[in-house]
Amino acid sequence: MLETARATAGEVPRSTEAPAPLSLSLRNVTKDYELPTGPLSVVEDVTIEVAGGEFLALVGPSGCGKSTILRMMAGLIPPSSGAVLYNGAPIGGVNMDCAMVFQSFALLPWLSVLENVQLGLDARGLPAEERRRRANFYIDKVGLDGYEEAYPRELSGGMKQRVGFARALAVEPKILLMDEPFSALDALTTINLREELIDLFRDPEIRISIAILVTHSIEEAVELADRVVVLSSHPGRVLADRRIGLPRPRDRRDPAFNDIVSEIFSLIT
Amino acid sequence: MLRTIAIDAALSFSRMLVAYGCSLVFAIVYGVTAGRSKRAERVMIPILDVLQSVPVLAFFPAAVYFFIALARGGRLGVEMAAVFLIFTGQAWNMAFGVYEAVTTLPSDSTEACAAFGLSPWERFRRLELPASVPKIVYNSILSWAAGWYFLVACEIISIGKSSYSLPGLGSFIQKAMEAADMGGMLAGIGALVAIVILLDLLVWRPLTIWAEKYRFEFTAAAVGESRIFDLYRSTGVARSVGGVVDRFWAALDRPIARIARLPRLSPAGRVFHVLRVLWRTLFVLLAAAGALAILAVIVSFLRPPIPVEVRKIPAALLFSFCRLLVAYVISLCWTIPLSLWVGENDRVARIVTPVAEVAASIPATAFFPLIVFFVVRSLGSVDLAAVLLVLTGMQWYLLFNALAGARQVPGEMKEMTRSFGLRFPARARKAILPAMTPSLITGSVTGWGGGWNALILSEYVTYGRRVYETPGIGQLLVRATVSGNVRLLVWSIVAMVLLISLLNRFVWRRLYAAASVRFRIDA
Repeated sequence: MLETARATAGEVPRSTEAPAPLSLSLRNVTKDYELPTGPLSVVEDVTIEVAGGEFLALVGPSGCGKSTILRMMAGLIPPSSGAVLYNGAPIGGVNMDCAMVFQSFALLPWLSVLENVQLGLDARGLPAEERRRRANFYIDKVGLDGYEEAYPRELSGGMKQRVGFARALAVEPKILLMDEPFSALDALTTINLREELIDLFRDPEIRISIAILVTHSIEEAVELADRVVVLSSHPGRVLADRRIGLPRPRDRRDPAFNDIVSEIFSLIT
Repeated sequence: MLRTIAIDAALSFSRMLVAYGCSLVFAIVYGVTAGRSKRAERVMIPILDVLQSVPVLAFFPAAVYFFIALARGGRLGVEMAAVFLIFTGQAWNMAFGVYEAVTTLPSDSTEACAAFGLSPWERFRRLELPASVPKIVYNSILSWAAGWYFLVACEIISIGKSSYSLPGLGSFIQKAMEAADMGGMLAGIGALVAIVILLDLLVWRPLTIWAEKYRFEFTAAAVGESRIFDLYRSTGVARSVGGVVDRFWAALDRPIARIARLPRLSPAGRVFHVLRVLWRTLFVLLAAAGALAILAVIVSFLRPPIPVEVRKIPAALLFSFCRLLVAYVISLCWTIPLSLWVGENDRVARIVTPVAEVAASIPATAFFPLIVFFVVRSLGSVDLAAVLLVLTGMQWYLLFNALAGARQVPGEMKEMTRSFGLRFPARARKAILPAMTPSLITGSVTGWGGGWNALILSEYVTYGRRVYETPGIGQLLVRATVSGNVRLLVWSIVAMVLLISLLNRFVWRRLYAAASVRFRIDA
């Protein structure tokens, strides 16, 4: 979507010097957990290829292992079998080109907004000056200008998740991973935040190449993504991998939009 | 000797059982009463607070005097004093546990009880008691550990010229140690450790897993595993135990429920209503009267003539405080890194947690003479031995709270720090240590409490007819006891309790209040 979104916004795709083609793929990945009752398969034989410039959504009922897949893509947990490849090479450990947005925001309550956003930059050994500049820049981008010194407990849920987005964007990742970023928020906040997310991706200053969204809302997936991967539950397997060719901006009342939503819905139920 | 040990073990165990039974009933009644009524809470909780921060062992001589007078001399009085001492080591934290469980009930569940017109008894039976089960089980484990700790110390007591001794494992070990009989001592300690480990395996671990189903949380917490529990279930032991408990409950429940269901305005209903109000008032009054009576007795002993040794109290307190401080720093130095490691690594957690649980429930008091013997022998320092003894009474509280704190750090928070590439020292400094801080402070409060208790036994130790002592408030206290100087005893206790209360009020409570605002994790 990143390319398409920019195209509809009337922009020239930004690549003047050809960037190395980016790719992230799961090859026959299985993840088991050891339980006292025996091994439990959460993800089974999943193969997904994501190319640079793509916005992918993973949807499925709870227990389909979509969050587990996201964590394997980030390198937070290793697969039990199969391979997770980044630019063709298997990843060993946390992939520093990824940044993640969490369902429960995962902000540190004892740090201010500014310090929270700087967290990932601290780990990258950037000079203090640059950390501050970048953190302020992305706090502005998500519309939290003036809240730099506030603490998370003083913020509403929507604002907390904006901090989550700013923290992820501040490390200027090539890949943005989002684990149900809106499901802890109320419906109205969600609608606003989704629109702002679309605007962020249109922003030429934000250079994310791959975005992956985990959600249980089919509408959300169809509204935001270029491609939707539908998963089954217990264990998680790929049921369908569907490209969303709808033009942007997308309209939820569009019959074509609803056709796609019901098509995916019938796959899951 | 084997026969003596078996009989002594049985006697000690029955003492524990009686004390625990009293603690359980007390805790449930006290906790539910305080948790239900705001007015009762205002009187009962401060009292419990003071009782909890008082070093139990300091009161033992006083309790022995009282009970021996009550039973007009003889063994029954000593027996009662021992059970009372164990009770005071077990009851308060359990009562707090029940109180916490009752006051933190989700409001929708209490409202549901009101909406369905449940009587107070039914509310207790259906909601408050089940909801308290996890806290009761958890605190029971701590209480049993504390109970063993005191049991060993209280089966022998000498006051003035008279020395009282109760047959039991504790006195067995102490006699062996006074006779410098290493073999007997090891046999006694071995028996004690075996009982503690068996209880943990056969009773507490299965109970902990059973208690999980009463937890009021909807997130899937990691439930531990216990082969024994599975065994109980598969062999039907669990069912038959459950059957017995159910029958007992039904016998208790039926008559009370019938009374509780009486219409409020019927004559019998009115009578019971009045009785209930009376009972509640009486309970609060009794608690207050008890506190006042104790206060009056203490004041009468503080009046002149003031013993000369009272001059030594400030310096003694300072020495003891420094000893505790050293032990505290040592405890922090090993418990925090270990907890961080456990928090990082599930496999380590599965090994460390049960080992620590068992290690903590083995009463260190049984080892005191051994520690003293070896440290004084090889290093020639009674002071060092005293610090080590205090350490045994302090470190476990810190370890458990630090471990719990490290476990409480939400999974997403840990993942977040990893996903942003924070390496271990940075991760600990920015995320895990701050998140652990409130638990660490709680652990510090209870740890210092345990430390003060251990101190009383640490500064004056007898081994093989020799007394090893070092100046401090514990030494002063024991000397006063041994010489029968009741006034000095009361002065020392009051000074010690005062210092502890001041520390709690002006150091720990403030730290906790600050930390619980700054380091609270709300979802």
